[in-house]
Amino acid sequence: MNRSITQWLAATALSVCLVSAHSFDFQQELKNAASSLKEPGKLSSLGGYSEAEETEIGKQIAGNLLGAAPLVKDKLLQKYVNNVGRWVASQSERPDLAWHFGVIDSTDINAFAAPGGYVFVTKGLYRLLNDESELAGVLGHEIGHVIRKHHLKILQQSKLLDKGSKLLAKQTGGSDKVQNLIGSGAEIVSRSLDKSAEFEADRIAIVLATRAGYDAFGLPQVLQEIGHTASNDSSVALLFKTHPAPEERLTRLGDAMDDHFDGVKGQTLMGRLYRIK
Amino acid sequence: MRMTTHLGALLLTALLAMPVAYAGEGGSMIKTDELKAEPFRDAKTVAKLAGGDKVDILKKDGGWLQVKSAQGSGWVHMLSVRRGAARKSSSGNEVAGLAGLASGRAGTGKVVATTGIRGLNEEELKAAKFNETELKLAESYLTSRSEAQTFANKGKLKARNMDYLPDPSAGESK
Repeated sequence: MNRSITQWLAATALSVCLVSAHSFDFQQELKNAASSLKEPGKLSSLGGYSEAEETEIGKQIAGNLLGAAPLVKDKLLQKYVNNVGRWVASQSERPDLAWHFGVIDSTDINAFAAPGGYVFVTKGLYRLLNDESELAGVLGHEIGHVIRKHHLKILQQSKLLDKGSKLLAKQTGGSDKVQNLIGSGAEIVSRSLDKSAEFEADRIAIVLATRAGYDAFGLPQVLQEIGHTASNDSSVALLFKTHPAPEERLTRLGDAMDDHFDGVKGQTLMGRLYRIK
Repeated sequence: MRMTTHLGALLLTALLAMPVAYAGEGGSMIKTDELKAEPFRDAKTVAKLAGGDKVDILKKDGGWLQVKSAQGSGWVHMLSVRRGAARKSSSGNEVAGLAGLASGRAGTGKVVATTGIRGLNEEELKAAKFNETELKLAESYLTSRSEAQTFANKGKLKARNMDYLPDPSAGESK
């Protein structure tokens, strides 16, 4: 999901200036962002977009994604997912972003994040979950993409040249200018991020879930479950195309977690997981 | 609504006390690891399990699984075990053993059209039209930080400190 967004975003300075309600020196911003990329510690200056711009981009992507797969019409489910998600996101360095979470009506097994704090899980993935700590782990992975601005970085890295044709995209609602930036519809969510960004999001998920008081192993459990799905099953086609294999992610997580979590107990809250009818 | 919440809390408390049971779920070792008498790294080693060894999973405790194996019973790291053998795929076909399991990336990303199943492939995402009504609906479910705190309290979730994990491959040459 992520890769697409970023690439189109990068398309550029020009487009960004259009998006921005208030003008700013984009060239300088790009330079700042580029230098920030080399300094992982400097999170606050990463991205090169203001929070308002980031949210506008995320809104457009989220609205398009919902055009492809609407929300599951279950208010209690949606509220529950927002409760869990906001609690996990509250443990991150961006606790005050207007975080939005949702379960979308698709049998695919996947989850998506868009800049500005929009996170969606498919019904197919939600149905695999056994307890609340697993949901926290899945949402934590997507929250990781948002707080590290993985998609925004890709957009910034892409070349303006690739973009020309996209500027002619028809308006389909929402913001024309932002749409121009992100390409067609929600295709940006079907792009792959760097593998390293996925592994990073996995590690963040473990830590955020643990900080939130959950069992640290929720995400690994879901990855094991997904790993049991045949790779030729269409429900995981997009997920497997855009992410490293579950086995590889588990191995990396195991290396990163080592024995740090042996004595760390957390809640799984199996009884509180909202079950879709 | 409130009633439901209270009921839920009660139910939760009851369930929390229960170990997670995997009643006879099978699994196999992904790598060599020690079988421990208890779910701790420092616990006595019962046996050494090799990659490929079959285990029966009895229950889970944090990052540990209690298992029964040909070499005895005990606890192994959850991440050393591949749980289960196969499950039904979403299209209802029985997955044929481990050989058919996800080991890499799927080929084309093409989805066979199946009536009644709503997928989400690249073409559909690309053709997606902005849906303002759904976006507004999604945004209407926002949970505030204080609401999230209340929700956490009900589940007895306590926030705690933990540093982010470093990239274990960061030290390797690239």
